Amino acid sequence: MTKTSTDTAQASPTKRFFVSMLTRDIHLADAILDLLDNCLDGAMRLAGGKEVDYALHFVKIKIAGDHFSIADNCGGIPREVAKNYAFKMGREPDDDRDSDAETIGMYGVGMKRAIFKMGRNALVRTRYGDDTFEVPITSAWLAAKNWDPLPINEPTEASEQLDEPGTTIYVNDLYEGVARHFANASFENEVRTAIAEHFTMFLQWGLKVELNGTPVEPVRVEVLVSTDENRPAPYIYRKTIDDVIVSITVGLNTGKSLGDDEDDDAGFERDRSSATAGWTVLCNDRAVIVGDKGRLTGWGDGIPLYHPQFAIITGIIEFRSKHADKLPVTTTKRALDTSSNVWLESLVKMKEGMRIWISYTNQWKNHPRSDQSSHWEDARPMALSMAIETVASRRFTKKTNDFIEFNPQKAKVLPEPEDKKPSSRKVMFSRPAEEVHLVSKMLFDNPDEKPGIVGDKCFEMQLTKAKRQGG
Amino acid sequence: MSAGSSLPYRLRPNKAVDRELFLSLLMRLAPRLTLEKYHYIGLGGPFLEDFRMIHGRIGIAKMTCIETEEQVHKRQIFNRPIASIECVHKSLEDYLDETDFDSPTIIWFDYTEPKGITTQIERFARTIGTVQIGSILRITLNANPESLGKPDPKDISVEAEGDVSEDRAQKPTTQEWRLARFKERLGSLFPSGLTADGMTHKNYGRSLLRALKLAVDKEALSFRDRRIVWALATHYADGQAMVTAALVVCQNDDQAIEELVKGWEFNSTTDAPHRVALPALSTLERLTMESHADARTKMGFDLPKSDMGENPFEVFKKFYRIYPHFSRVEL
Repeated sequence: MTKTSTDTAQASPTKRFFVSMLTRDIHLADAILDLLDNCLDGAMRLAGGKEVDYALHFVKIKIAGDHFSIADNCGGIPREVAKNYAFKMGREPDDDRDSDAETIGMYGVGMKRAIFKMGRNALVRTRYGDDTFEVPITSAWLAAKNWDPLPINEPTEASEQLDEPGTTIYVNDLYEGVARHFANASFENEVRTAIAEHFTMFLQWGLKVELNGTPVEPVRVEVLVSTDENRPAPYIYRKTIDDVIVSITVGLNTGKSLGDDEDDDAGFERDRSSATAGWTVLCNDRAVIVGDKGRLTGWGDGIPLYHPQFAIITGIIEFRSKHADKLPVTTTKRALDTSSNVWLESLVKMKEGMRIWISYTNQWKNHPRSDQSSHWEDARPMALSMAIETVASRRFTKKTNDFIEFNPQKAKVLPEPEDKKPSSRKVMFSRPAEEVHLVSKMLFDNPDEKPGIVGDKCFEMQLTKAKRQGG
Repeated sequence: MSAGSSLPYRLRPNKAVDRELFLSLLMRLAPRLTLEKYHYIGLGGPFLEDFRMIHGRIGIAKMTCIETEEQVHKRQIFNRPIASIECVHKSLEDYLDETDFDSPTIIWFDYTEPKGITTQIERFARTIGTVQIGSILRITLNANPESLGKPDPKDISVEAEGDVSEDRAQKPTTQEWRLARFKERLGSLFPSGLTADGMTHKNYGRSLLRALKLAVDKEALSFRDRRIVWALATHYADGQAMVTAALVVCQNDDQAIEELVKGWEFNSTTDAPHRVALPALSTLERLTMESHADARTKMGFDLPKSDMGENPFEVFKKFYRIYPHFSRVEL
């Protein structure tokens, strides 16, 4: 039996370990998105449970080779919160902010992680009501061994004031790799695309986000819906699972129609389709995943692997809950917790919806797109909630209190090709371009007819001959 | 063989000026980079005119002409103006994959096919990391927005200066339709925030160059030993609209080449390409315009605006020095 001595063993994390661990598992672009998430959570708190008017809010982001800044007018940080929680590494259990709002922050690492990811020197200036103060995070503090609290400084000059309640974060002394990215146009493009996709709902509601002085436009993820009861509509599903409202739709996107694969750009099989093909996953209005075409969302898991043939299929799933910890997202907020029950249960329905459209694209394979498009004439692109609302009123939709489901295959509203023959086979071959030009010139008096059409006509000619001889 | 190359240069004054611009860039860089020791790789067409000129102006001896079509390849061997030109019957891509370059290179990716634009851009971008530092790369891309395809007229609505057709709410305009195709083709190379306005004949070239710049910048992130200096960008049309861009792969810490390029009178970057749209002129008009500061007053009439909407007097003033003069010679 041992007895307690006066010695103790240090068990607190070192700052260096903490900072390097924290920043390792996040992409630079995601770190910026995390900061944007914080702005939105701020706007939601400011509204105090009422509906947020996002058109009143702006977020201005600047990335450059020598600094980063983000400025918002989303309410700022209350001094008590700054003193006790906001700059702490991780969230305290007694921090009960947001218990009844659909925010997404829950671990309390986003802002710190983003700052540490970018550089060694940062300044957080905030105004809550009329109270303005700033918190510097310096390289000296980062290098120090202890966990001394950060100073809170009061403004002494007019230039240190903020025009309206909100927060400005400024980071400089950027890490070398970060500076290279921030000065690079393609990285800026990547961040812009990521904001346009992940915050599409907020942008559509009027939130103004500027990146390096240019406003970000939302990317719309939509499926085609016909308002006519007998015409095609997407698969839809809605159910509450473990306090999370799950809404799903799978349908055709507004992209190009089937059978238009004459495009020689393909070269070899690869995906050039827009981001909106595949699965988009929303959690409390944030797009967590956009256009996923991998195993994560069920492709290749009891369903064929993603293939360009499926580039016209779009699936959208939304999880909505006031309990952020029940949403199937990870700490980076840009990845899914795939072991959660709500995700696993939803995945079954996602696959059910996908199967409908995979078999649809198989049916229409090798059919000219014009045959198909007449069926879709009056269909309009709609976002998830609108699609569900529209389809929910159909006769064939199953409905109970907390459950809606519509299967277009079972409702028999999906068009089938008229000359559908189960025995159709594909004939493919390749010949040198000059030979194709030569045959094309002979048949069409135009050397540039599409190779597929030239080949098809050649086959038809032989078929006519064969029928004459053999038939 | 390139789609447009059946037309000789003398019938394509804008293309001739575009080529002169590139030669002028090379001549500016030649003493600094000792270009005569470089390896020039291009797609010469049946007459190998650019090879003859590059050899004549810069003195490069090591030159390789790539051609996929066998008959044209044979014709090139027959027409070969300089004995040191090596003619290779291959695709440019295969040639680049199979060759290790032991000297810096000048490569002209003279793409004219509108299809495969994404592959072309990606290939060009990828090459910045595989060539030796000091190399000069140039690309030509087909900038005709109609190459994105033609929508069925009944699937399209129209809008002009605020007036719209009845079906505007349901159907896209031609430009919106093209934008969707452009996005599909480019995938992740698509410049975020690009709007339908970027799909007009006038602006499509610049949209393509934007995508090109992004692809190159993205590639450049992976190489710390080098950086990219954009030197020349043009947009011209003799029938088919084309854009070109040329860049120098510089040492990471180089300033000298960048200064040399920036100080060049024809320096232009992908966000503001030169619009090469020269007017067709009689000899008398040309001589008058060259020798008079205010030719418009002297001549007393207006010249028609170019298809790109440029003022012909201004375009002429910008390029007259390198505007070729073609005349007929009977052999």
